[in-house]
Amino acid sequence: MKKIIGMVLIIMLITGCSKHESEEAPLSLVKVTHPTPSLIQSDHRDDDAELLQSIEKDVEDYKELYDAAIVKNKDQILVAYKVKHLQRFHMKKIEKKLKDSLEKDYPDVEFIVSSDFKIFLEVVELHEKMKSPEFDVKKAEKKFNNIVELQKELT
Amino acid sequence: MSGQNKKTPDQEKYQQLEQKHETKRPVLKNCIRAFWVGGLFCVVGQALTYFYIYFFNFTEQTASNPTVATMIFIAMLLTGFGVYDRIGQFAGAGSAVPVTGFGNAVISAAIEHRTEGFVLGVGSNMFKLAGSVLLFGVFSAFIIALIKTILVYMGVI
Repeated sequence: MKKIIGMVLIIMLITGCSKHESEEAPLSLVKVTHPTPSLIQSDHRDDDAELLQSIEKDVEDYKELYDAAIVKNKDQILVAYKVKHLQRFHMKKIEKKLKDSLEKDYPDVEFIVSSDFKIFLEVVELHEKMKSPEFDVKKAEKKFNNIVELQKELT
Repeated sequence: MSGQNKKTPDQEKYQQLEQKHETKRPVLKNCIRAFWVGGLFCVVGQALTYFYIYFFNFTEQTASNPTVATMIFIAMLLTGFGVYDRIGQFAGAGSAVPVTGFGNAVISAAIEHRTEGFVLGVGSNMFKLAGSVLLFGVFSAFIIALIKTILVYMGVI
C-alpha cells in the first residue's frame, strides 16, 4: 500500500511540474518532427519564407543531422538540429561546419546554430504556440530572445 | 634478497594444497554485475537529465550540474538507510566508480566516525576517502587544462 501511495505521489509530482501544454514538443525526443520553419517579424514575408525553406533543405541535406527546427526574427535565424547518435562525438566540428557554410551561403543574416535538445524543444514549442491567434508577435519575440539567451548559457 | 623467493618443498606443497581449496574469484561474473548495475545508474542519471531539460530551464550543457547533485544526494540517502552497502556488495566497482560512489564514500565515513564526536570524528574523517578523490580530481583537471592551454597557445587545437 505504501509503495502504491509513493508511486502515485511521484507521478503527481512529475505531471504537476509539467509546463508543456503542446502535444508535439515533448514527443520530439523520441521521434522526428520536421517542424515547418516560422517567421516572427519580417518586412518581406514571401521572400523570407522561401529563404527559410531553402535553409531547411540545406540543413537537412547534412548526413550527420536528421531533424531541424528553424525560426527567423528580423535579421536573426535560429537553427536547432538533432545530430545522429554516433555522430555526436563530432558535435563541435559539425556545428562549426554548419555555421560556416550557412554564413557563406546567406551572408545577410545572422545565424545562431545549436545542437542542444533543449533549444530544439523550445523552438518546436514556439512553432506550436505561434499557431494560436492569442500568441501575438510581442510574445513570440520575447520567447525567441529567451531561447537565444538560453543558448548562450554555459554553466 | 633472492633467498626469500625460494620456497621449501613443504611450502610449495602447502601452496598447492591452498590453491586447490581456495575459492576462485569470479572475475567475469563481477565484471558483468558491475557493468549492468553501473549502467543502470547511468540510465537513472540520463533520465534525470531529461527531467531537468523538460521541466526546468536547463540545456543539455547545463543540466549535468543538477543531475550530478541529485545523484549524489540520492546515493547519500541510500547510504544512510543502509541500501547502498548492499548494492555495493553486489555490484562492486559498478557502484563505486560512478559519481554516486563519491556520495557513499562521504556518508559512510561520517557514519563510521560518528561516535568520536562531531568535530574530531565526523568533521575530520568525513573526507577521509573522498578527500583523495577531490585532490587528484582537481590536480588532474589542472594538468589537463595546462596541456590544453599550451596546445591552444601553440595553435594545435
